[in-house]
Amino acid sequence: MNCLLEGNCVKAFGKAIHALSRIGDELWLDPMVKGLALRAVNSAHSAYACFLFSPLFFQQYSLGSVSEQGSGTVKCKLAMKSVLPLFRCLTSIERNVERCQITVGTPSDRVMIQFFCRHGIIKTHNLRFQESEALQAVFASHLCPNVLKAPARLLGDMVMHFPVCQEEITLSVTPERVSLRNYYEEGNDRKKTMCTEMSLHPDEFNYFQVGVESDITFCLKELRGLLSFAESHCLPVSVHFAAAGKPVCFSVEDMVLEASVVLATLMDSESRIPSQHTQPPAPTTPRRADAAVVPLGSCEADSRVPQGVVTMMELIPSSQGSPILNPPTQMLLESHFDDPNGPRSHDEACVSVASTPASSTICSLLFRAVSSEQDGVCVAQLPVLACYSDEEEDMEEDYPGSPSL
Amino acid sequence: MPLSTQSQADDEPYVLVASLDNARNLSNILKSITFKDHAIFSATPNGLKVTVEDSKCMQANAFIQADIFQEFTIKEDLVGFQVNLTVLLDCLNIFGGSTVQGVSTALRMCYRGYGYPLTLFLEEGGVVTVCKINTQEPEEPVDFDFCSNNVTNKVILLSESLKEAFSELDMTSEVLQITMSPSQPYFRLSTFGNSGNAHYDYPKDSEMMELFRCTTTQTNRYKMSLLKPSTKALALSCKVSVRTDSRGFLSLQYLVRNDDGQICFVEYYCCPDEEVEEE
Repeated sequence: MNCLLEGNCVKAFGKAIHALSRIGDELWLDPMVKGLALRAVNSAHSAYACFLFSPLFFQQYSLGSVSEQGSGTVKCKLAMKSVLPLFRCLTSIERNVERCQITVGTPSDRVMIQFFCRHGIIKTHNLRFQESEALQAVFASHLCPNVLKAPARLLGDMVMHFPVCQEEITLSVTPERVSLRNYYEEGNDRKKTMCTEMSLHPDEFNYFQVGVESDITFCLKELRGLLSFAESHCLPVSVHFAAAGKPVCFSVEDMVLEASVVLATLMDSESRIPSQHTQPPAPTTPRRADAAVVPLGSCEADSRVPQGVVTMMELIPSSQGSPILNPPTQMLLESHFDDPNGPRSHDEACVSVASTPASSTICSLLFRAVSSEQDGVCVAQLPVLACYSDEEEDMEEDYPGSPSL
Repeated sequence: MPLSTQSQADDEPYVLVASLDNARNLSNILKSITFKDHAIFSATPNGLKVTVEDSKCMQANAFIQADIFQEFTIKEDLVGFQVNLTVLLDCLNIFGGSTVQGVSTALRMCYRGYGYPLTLFLEEGGVVTVCKINTQEPEEPVDFDFCSNNVTNKVILLSESLKEAFSELDMTSEVLQITMSPSQPYFRLSTFGNSGNAHYDYPKDSEMMELFRCTTTQTNRYKMSLLKPSTKALALSCKVSVRTDSRGFLSLQYLVRNDDGQICFVEYYCCPDEEVEEE
């Protein structure tokens, strides 16, 4: 595969890589007839992102002749730490880089990224890659009962209010409003945590469809990259989701590119959700998935077992012709983890991600949540162990609406 | 000025007296060669040369000519001593190194000779500090025997084009390879790191290339750890000349403008890691 990007597109490409670097440590490159897809997934398999650049995005885009040993295009993955430094300083790229050429595969076994800069200076990087099956995610956007489409800066402006260290947030929708609040666990001393909540009226959105009232809790950190990308390109962000436990998809698109981030959401006790919303006067009563948090020991241990990791995800070998993540169509999660090293490395990765007891619990549960239909044994039987305290209501804040509009 | 009047009577015993209205004109340039603790000072009637060496393979020299100083009196042909450079810099910045316009530290540096400490009189805003730094026997700096006659390839580049390259250099590479050639790729910096290799090519007709005089194709590798400190001098400079001789020894000369727009030089010499035959 050989492609040439010019000027501003190099910066957009770099921004996509920044967004992907927030998700995982590896970057999957998948050159296709439809375009070049860049993908990343996190080690817990609870976050996945894909940026697809159509051939129109590039000044030149060619896949290489099919006659070369039967496979014209090489699908590969690169270590994020080899690629990210090349695009780290976007302002300097904007100032200096006139064109960028990317070549994958033949003749060398390297990915070559060449920057043609001002003053005739040329920077060439030859990066080692690993051949790999393509990575794709399961997500049926068209089956999602809830769809929001927010103008470019709306979500970015909302998440700006949360501290950078905030790991998870909860998005709640009712037909009357949409709110975002930070998520914290029972264990933390509530007095020391700053609680932030903001609400939006459905009118703030370009498109608002709430089929099922729900609260979904997902990892914010992994989303920030996409929101920043959307803001810089002034693209509206679409959100497709269902009830807690099912994944949420944030996506943007324009004429030459599509990007999406699919995040697993925290499993919640099913029974609670409908009953809460039937109390109209009460503003959002906190729907912290207390029950999900409690069984720390058992679920966590299970998820660290390699077999547990592997069976959670649908392992279907990739075929060249499979369409990639495209919101209206259903895709299959395909993975290269069939090889013997896969499960082991993910086990280690899962362990390394679990640096604090709290985050490890979240990881394992989010993981299950992605394929909740497969295995609900542990989580579905969780009793409600905590009731809501009245002081929660004092912390409610009602934001009038997005200031950016 | 308080400093000069107060020490009129003490002038005779000093073999070297150097004064600056703005100590930054000395401290900035010395900072760019501070990668080792001690430095060899050599003063001649032409000015001051400060040398720092690393493992006998790399040497950095800073030249501050006599006319940069407001006063430069030397009673011998050559005055040499060795001091701890880190301590000296701490003293030069003893008033905190303020960068407010119009506020500067005045310096009077005095040396009585062999066995005596280096005395610094520093003044800012009416406050005077006297620092005495012990000196040591100066070591003989390595003579890299780099003479202009032996230079095979020389280029002069505007520093701004190199600054970015040096800041992006793959530090997992043990060596920095420099290729200079009358034909493509003309001037190339290469690294070989864990992720792969990288090449930075500067064509001979680039606007950043002020001078291009390459006679033969040469490729030499230098230890990255030895060259990395030169980035500080690069950051201060506006132009740099890169020369290699027939043995593959590297000379980097940086043209630095100080706060008052005067020109000083910093020079780095480095011996090659291994001889690489050109292809």
